[in-house]
Amino acid sequence: MHSKFRTFAGQLLIAANIFILFLLFFENKLVIPAWLQTIGRMHPLILHFPIVILLLAMLLEYFSFRPEYAKNQFYRNFLHNLLLAGSLLAAVTVIMGLFLSREEGYEGEILNYHKWTGAGIFFFASFIYFIRSSTWYKAPVAKAGSLLTVAALVVTGHYGAALTHGMNFIWEPIEARKEAASIAPEQAVVFTHVVQPILEQKCTSCHNADKMKGQLSLTDAQSLLKGGKSGKVLVPGNPEISLLLERIHMPTEEKKHMPPSGKPQLTPQETAILHLWIKDQAKFDKKLASYPSGDSLQILAAAYLKPASRETEFDFPSADEAEITALNSDYRTIVPLAKNSPALAVNIYNRATYTSKQLNELDGIRKQVIALNLNKMPVNDADLEIIGKFENLQKLNLNFTEISAGGLKALTGLKNLSSLAISGTKIKYSELSALLPAFKNLKSVSVWNTPLSEPEIVQLQKANGSMAIIGGFKDDGKNMLRLNPPQMKNSSPVFAGTMALQLKHPINGVEIRYTMDGSEPDSVKSPLANDKLLLAKSENIKAKAFKNGWYGSETVQFEVYKCSFQPDSVHLLAPLNRVHQATGAKTFFDQKLGVIGANNPAWANNWAGVKDNDMVLVSEFKKPALISSVGIHYMIEEDTGIFPPEIVEVWGGKDAESMKLLSKFKTEMPAKGDKPSLKTMEGKFKPQTVSCLKIVAKPLNKIPEWHKSKGNKALLLVDEMFLN
Amino acid sequence: MEKEILEHGFSFNRRRFLSGMSLGLGSVALGSLLMPDLLKGGNREEEGLTPGIPHFAPKAKRVIYMFQNGAPSQQELFDYKPKLREMFGKEIPPSVRGMQRLTGMTANQASFPLVGSFVDFAQYGDSRAWVSNLMPYTAKIVNDLCFVKSMYTEAINHDPALTFLQTGSQQGNRPSMGSWLSYGLGNENKNLPNFTVLLSRGVGNGQGVYSKLWSNGFLDSVHQGVQFSKGEDPVLYLRDPDGMNRQDRRDMLDNLAQLNDLSYQEFGDPEIAAKIKQYEMAYRMQTAVPEVMDLSRESDDIVKLYGPECLVPGTYAANCLLARKLSENGVRFVQLYHQGWDQHGNLPFEITKQAMDVDQASAALVTDLKQRGLLDETLVIWGGEFGRTSYTQGKLAADNYGRDHHPRCFTIWMAGGGIKPGMVYGETDELGYNIIKDPVHVHDFQATILHQLGLDHEKLVFRHLGRRYRLTDVSGKVIKDIIS
Repeated sequence: MHSKFRTFAGQLLIAANIFILFLLFFENKLVIPAWLQTIGRMHPLILHFPIVILLLAMLLEYFSFRPEYAKNQFYRNFLHNLLLAGSLLAAVTVIMGLFLSREEGYEGEILNYHKWTGAGIFFFASFIYFIRSSTWYKAPVAKAGSLLTVAALVVTGHYGAALTHGMNFIWEPIEARKEAASIAPEQAVVFTHVVQPILEQKCTSCHNADKMKGQLSLTDAQSLLKGGKSGKVLVPGNPEISLLLERIHMPTEEKKHMPPSGKPQLTPQETAILHLWIKDQAKFDKKLASYPSGDSLQILAAAYLKPASRETEFDFPSADEAEITALNSDYRTIVPLAKNSPALAVNIYNRATYTSKQLNELDGIRKQVIALNLNKMPVNDADLEIIGKFENLQKLNLNFTEISAGGLKALTGLKNLSSLAISGTKIKYSELSALLPAFKNLKSVSVWNTPLSEPEIVQLQKANGSMAIIGGFKDDGKNMLRLNPPQMKNSSPVFAGTMALQLKHPINGVEIRYTMDGSEPDSVKSPLANDKLLLAKSENIKAKAFKNGWYGSETVQFEVYKCSFQPDSVHLLAPLNRVHQATGAKTFFDQKLGVIGANNPAWANNWAGVKDNDMVLVSEFKKPALISSVGIHYMIEEDTGIFPPEIVEVWGGKDAESMKLLSKFKTEMPAKGDKPSLKTMEGKFKPQTVSCLKIVAKPLNKIPEWHKSKGNKALLLVDEMFLN
Repeated sequence: MEKEILEHGFSFNRRRFLSGMSLGLGSVALGSLLMPDLLKGGNREEEGLTPGIPHFAPKAKRVIYMFQNGAPSQQELFDYKPKLREMFGKEIPPSVRGMQRLTGMTANQASFPLVGSFVDFAQYGDSRAWVSNLMPYTAKIVNDLCFVKSMYTEAINHDPALTFLQTGSQQGNRPSMGSWLSYGLGNENKNLPNFTVLLSRGVGNGQGVYSKLWSNGFLDSVHQGVQFSKGEDPVLYLRDPDGMNRQDRRDMLDNLAQLNDLSYQEFGDPEIAAKIKQYEMAYRMQTAVPEVMDLSRESDDIVKLYGPECLVPGTYAANCLLARKLSENGVRFVQLYHQGWDQHGNLPFEITKQAMDVDQASAALVTDLKQRGLLDETLVIWGGEFGRTSYTQGKLAADNYGRDHHPRCFTIWMAGGGIKPGMVYGETDELGYNIIKDPVHVHDFQATILHQLGLDHEKLVFRHLGRRYRLTDVSGKVIKDIIS
């Protein structure tokens, strides 16, 4: 070889070494474009060259120090060039192999061995090439090196063959292995096609005729029945005492657990299959078809035999990214299914802006659209013609659109359509039953809220066994539920002159009946609530909601309070508790009532409170008011020491100096165990014209003997007062 | 002479080395052509994620998470333990309790008597799943549900446990699950926020929920959860002020966007761009939100399905109905919180009320999605932040008891979104105290959710303060067995 060529080739070899090292180092980041994949796939073609050339080179190398060859210029030159060529071809092969290994389906231990031994050969051969001119490179080194290379070649070749043809390729014909390929469930034999494959996958790599760990083989019926060192492994009919399952069920930490930790374990389904098969007498020739349908073993075995559904791959090209971006708008989103997937999902929103144009514009990407959501859009039959051209469409949502059966016909050409939602449309049973069989690949159809009746849906399901016909909830009048009670919609239960009571219910067509005499509202006799009901005084209203097909609601009580006079100014003569400030003096006439309950703490809910001093409120009126009663609204929660006022005094007069005691009244004290409640106490007196009014409410000074805080002062909480 | 030869050899080698190396470097350059992401430096860990596009084909497109805030007692709802009734009043065996850390509420309790459920259970559906009589509507749909009875968490109190479930960390400041999904999946509907939050409260003892639970953390603020409230303005400050018409608003936004754009040009802060986007979305939301929130046109069937409360804004039932409507309109993550499940005492009374509040509407949501053909692409989750103890807290009476916090096991259910329907996964011991089969850590649960949405939880990362963050922190594995 010309020495220039050789130098160049030598440099190429260095470059190849670096390149391969680099590829190996960043292997995980390799992304192989399609055109390089084809080069990668030539790996099995090229690999034979380096094998043969390196084998030959190593043979020559082995004898290269024999005197007759060592002096032969041609021999030495030829060998040197041969080794160089072999190494370079090995480089090419390794690079191709690395490309190929990035394709799907290449993984696992064998690949790893193959990869590293293969790369090793290349590095080693290059190494030999570069060092063989050194002075210390003598016959023994050459012999050892060439033997090692040859051994590596054999090993690598073996792993490569195993990758391509399977581990047992060579011996397979002799062993006459059983066909384990997919088999129709009707012909499947439970042992041969289910149990045995499980054992082969998880057990027989150690328990076979060649490698009988624990003197056990699990490859066939005889050896299974024979058992191993620890005795029989299965007791037909008795999975509980079968050693096979005992070992599988042991905790994984246990040394005797099988398969050993680190090896692939049995899935729960596989364990269940073994269990049920042994329970059923471990029959070796019973067919799957002879088990009754619904039998656990039958279900599990059938599921095991069913080929695993692979993720759908798409064979259409990606759409132009700029076009997708251009088509995306505020009301039409087009998103890729996933990174590197050509498939697109389109959603269209906003009824008001929808036009057929939005579908027509998708023509450029019609191949790529696999999901289209037109829920609640005014889509009509003409639009379906456009959709009929979306040849790869899988999922179509036409719920609550304006389509008819005629339009749906245009979709029967969509060979990939698997899910169709037409809930809330006007499609009829007769139309749909004629149409559905034309959809060959349809897996599910939602027909809720269409004219289809329950029996029709059942009928449709029967006729189209391969699809799931999804009905849904339709009220047949048998689902009696209790209505929720009516609500009072007035902004406040406190009013000055008159109040138009607004009783409402959120459900359409509900009747609200009420009473104001304390009796229970009746669905027939009690008056119907309407907006014209005017209240002129404080009332206790009971109301109930009724509707056909529903149970009447629980009775709800609304208390409304009349407060004829609003003072022009109010102030407190004694402080409120630090935590029960509410809105200070304004609290009492703000027409807002407080709330009670564990989730509504008093301090946060409009309650003004006192404990250590009286509640003393002075109200002033610019225009004298004729007042004949004072009401006070308070909370009682005996358990937490919240009691009514012990005494309420009402003072009135022309001004602050000349006030007289108008009324003094007591309230009813709760008994032990009374439920928390809100009460109003009213003190009536002879009508008095006042410009200044003082209300003194004294908290209970000594909590009664029966209470856990007996003798202490009670808390008084007031949220509103009513002047009439 | 020898020296010269040696030196000659060196220089020759150096030259050869250099020329060889230059070829080698060339080969590296050639190789790097095959590694598009190799030299992208700082962004390398975000490899595989183009924000807004899933890593692989997703099973689910959206999530509705009905969070039962306060931790519902699994012993009264789904985890049937007859042994607890047999051992009523007996002390919990120390071997079962082990070194379990207790809350401050029961740590000083003198005894830990076991208590069984006051309510009976029955088996339903093809999976023969146990459901208590408190959940009759849920019982009817077990064929659509996958119960996970072996959830466990690391926190023992509400706030950290809740924060852990929502953000993958017990301390706050990390993005919520909904924010991560918004970041990873992008918008389906550009007129509604991608992540919405609905709150409701039952009569039972409640625990707080706070906006940090739907915070975007260090992610872009467009991924923040938007709370929809029950009042007249579901989204606060969305309505135009009185007297402002649509055109005025439009003009105002256009001018504002120009101004904002100027400062964006100057500073290049992505938050400014986010702000412009949010103004625009708010403008479109002004029409989209009232439409979605309008419950007045729901049919009688729907009202019967969800129960009458569904038309009362702010109730759990109304939130379930809204969740369906939002999800149907492309909102990626709808987060409900229902408060009131913290039954330390008075459990039988309170849990009955709580269950009544949520049972019908939760089941209705699943049914409603199914009848619209949406269940297969919507992942529905129901559950709390931890479980409750098998022993009583406080006084034990035949008809009254309480249960304390229990992080070692609790039950949740999932439906739709590519989760196996009609399945019970995991198992607890016969006292319902420890998991004996298939434990599911919170991070496993989160990894599984992300997986169903086409996201690899190890690749959905964001670089912040010099390190990468994930929803699942540094652990979590997808629970393959519950995926169909």
